Amino acid sequence: MPEEEVLEESVLNPVKPEIQDPLLQALLAESAALDAAPTEQELPDLLPNPVEEVDCVVIGTGAGGAPLLARLAMAGLKVVALEAGPRRNPARDYATDEKAQSFLFWNDERLSAGQSPVAFGKNNSGTGVGGSTLHYTAYTPRAHANDLTLHRDFGQGVDWPFGIEELEPYYEELEHFLGVSGPTPYPWNPSRRKGYPLAPLPLNGAAQLMQRACAQLGIQTSPAANAALSARYYQEGIGWREACTNRGFCQAGCNRGAKASMDVTFLPLAESYGAEIRADAFVTEIERDEQGRVTGVVYEQYGQTVRQRCRHLFLCAGAVETPRLLMLNELALSSGHVGKNFMAHPGMQVWGTFPEDIRPYKGIPGGLISEDTHRPKNADFAGGYLLQSIGVMPVTFATQMVRQRKLWGQALRDYMRSYNHMAGINILGDCLPHAANFLELAEEKDARGLPKPRLHFTAQENEQRMNRHAEKLMRQIWEAAGARDIWAFERYAHVIGTARMGLSGDDAVVNPEGRAFDVPNLYICDNSVFPSALSVNPALTIMALSLRTADKFLASLR
Amino acid sequence: MPQYPAGTVRALLSTDLVTPATRAALEARLVSAAGYEPQFFDPATYALLEAVAARIFPQPDRETPIALTPAIDQRLLAGTADGWRYDAMPPDREAFRLGLGGINQAAQAQFQQVFTALDEARQDAVLEQLAAGNAAGENWQQLPQSRFFEDLLAELTEIYYAHPLAQEEIGYVGMADVPGWQRLGLNETEDREPTEVKL
Repeated sequence: MPEEEVLEESVLNPVKPEIQDPLLQALLAESAALDAAPTEQELPDLLPNPVEEVDCVVIGTGAGGAPLLARLAMAGLKVVALEAGPRRNPARDYATDEKAQSFLFWNDERLSAGQSPVAFGKNNSGTGVGGSTLHYTAYTPRAHANDLTLHRDFGQGVDWPFGIEELEPYYEELEHFLGVSGPTPYPWNPSRRKGYPLAPLPLNGAAQLMQRACAQLGIQTSPAANAALSARYYQEGIGWREACTNRGFCQAGCNRGAKASMDVTFLPLAESYGAEIRADAFVTEIERDEQGRVTGVVYEQYGQTVRQRCRHLFLCAGAVETPRLLMLNELALSSGHVGKNFMAHPGMQVWGTFPEDIRPYKGIPGGLISEDTHRPKNADFAGGYLLQSIGVMPVTFATQMVRQRKLWGQALRDYMRSYNHMAGINILGDCLPHAANFLELAEEKDARGLPKPRLHFTAQENEQRMNRHAEKLMRQIWEAAGARDIWAFERYAHVIGTARMGLSGDDAVVNPEGRAFDVPNLYICDNSVFPSALSVNPALTIMALSLRTADKFLASLR
Repeated sequence: MPQYPAGTVRALLSTDLVTPATRAALEARLVSAAGYEPQFFDPATYALLEAVAARIFPQPDRETPIALTPAIDQRLLAGTADGWRYDAMPPDREAFRLGLGGINQAAQAQFQQVFTALDEARQDAVLEQLAAGNAAGENWQQLPQSRFFEDLLAELTEIYYAHPLAQEEIGYVGMADVPGWQRLGLNETEDREPTEVKL
């Protein structure tokens, strides 16, 4: 956002154009009473008392902050969560419209540098009570044991400081709390003790095409595990949540509460145990005493500056805002690793046009999965990836398609007329840390006067080899399924690793319990602490780490 | 390529298959932008942007083309962003100033006239050069032309396909989701999904 001039309020009121279409005039007259534009929360009467000290402040209410907020509140601690974005009412405020939901995304500008610049905003980052889970696709595969041991197995990257057995009990707890829909047994995870609590969601057109072609090619597939309810589900602290209606809008906000975003799961649970969630609270400063202990935070809310004192701070702002806050406050920097080890999942997509009527807007977008490529036998790279079918809404599809294919003019309109006949497959693959990939503060300032984050990302040899392997395979699948006009879109999604966890403060920012090596009462819990990127979608593992961090912290108090 | 009957999305908007929030968002876009006065761009630069948009989304089939440029003018006026920007690009307002100026420089270099004075075929020739990264003009030394073209194309595309009439054109009716979708499989459609017109 440019800041060369400040505009007066009056200049910002656009001219209201006249309505010419008679059909539209009639429609508007009928629905005038229903004009329900989303509105922000009303201002609270009183700002919180700045003198009061609470046990814990949690910055961020997404997959990293919400589960531990609930855990800490349930243990009887006085906890406050600060969320930069607003609190919304999904049933009232979430239009089934891609543009009208842009308020769910972190739209403050980030600068994307390197040879493979990563898109943010709707590609990656959420805002509002619930964080990025408000628009995650709710894919919830578990990490595999060997996702945590890339260095042991390939001599590249780093290993996690603990094994999968530390996460498995939390995976199980989460699947049952959130109401994950998925197949039992799950083909690629024989060690699982319990099945998924709900049956899989139905397969849409893209999933059926992929299933058919993979069967021909000898690739095993299965309905994916997804944290959207295939049936009504009772949840502690919340009550009954309604089943998914196959609305297809998971990459934006669910207006029904069927998708397990934090605003309909852990956050109401936390509030039922006395946690306080303050929306529209943007943290700018972290205060310390002379011993270096955090004493409180300062945030902006409704144009006011507020201080909240705390005994412990949990920084769960995501892998861009977490390191940015640390850098802005010169905090936890002694390892030299804040902002380093930035990883992004290779998320290459392959699209094709089919004779069948597919209607990509219906059904859970990621219906079908294969993890046969988790450790492919003929691979020339470290790690692996999974395959997912994709459904997509038209604006998202069209904008990424033109960025890749640069179609314009009549050719663009002609291509998009076949939208209902298009289906895609994508991968979610591991990524190795590299010195060229990092986050730094730019000279350029945002609207608050704070430096914008700049993220450098260049796909290295390992990511490029994985992409080539995956593109070839996905093209084979779509050819077998009968597609024509097949094209690939190289993309990277998820932000990982900018404040990593490890055994030593020499090369990691937090210890295996999530506590900063050089600040005794600062914990970090989100995707920034992942030592490696994993070959699966990160949300379930972020939540598992969140519960584990809370339990380790609570044990340390005893 | 598939063709769909006209009026399907507009008809759905009047039904209770669409939520009030969805209806409000879509109807706001159906309002005609005829006579829109730019508030960020000066009139000549805005006319140039309109001419470029008209070639990127030619709409000879529409009596009133879907207006694409008012949303850009208002966004730049408000100074809002979509969460990221290529580091190689200057801030958006500066990118539009340099980029639109560069399009005129390219038109001058190729045809010795400003872009708006050219016929459609020549305008397309200038845009083809820009898309290929071969446009002439000193502004392009400060602005990577392939990134500028990509960003402009993506923003126009987003505005176009967010419009209910463009969604009608491609047979998208995902907005009519109140009852949910039961028929998800290949070649399965529900009554409210328009079927292709055979020409």
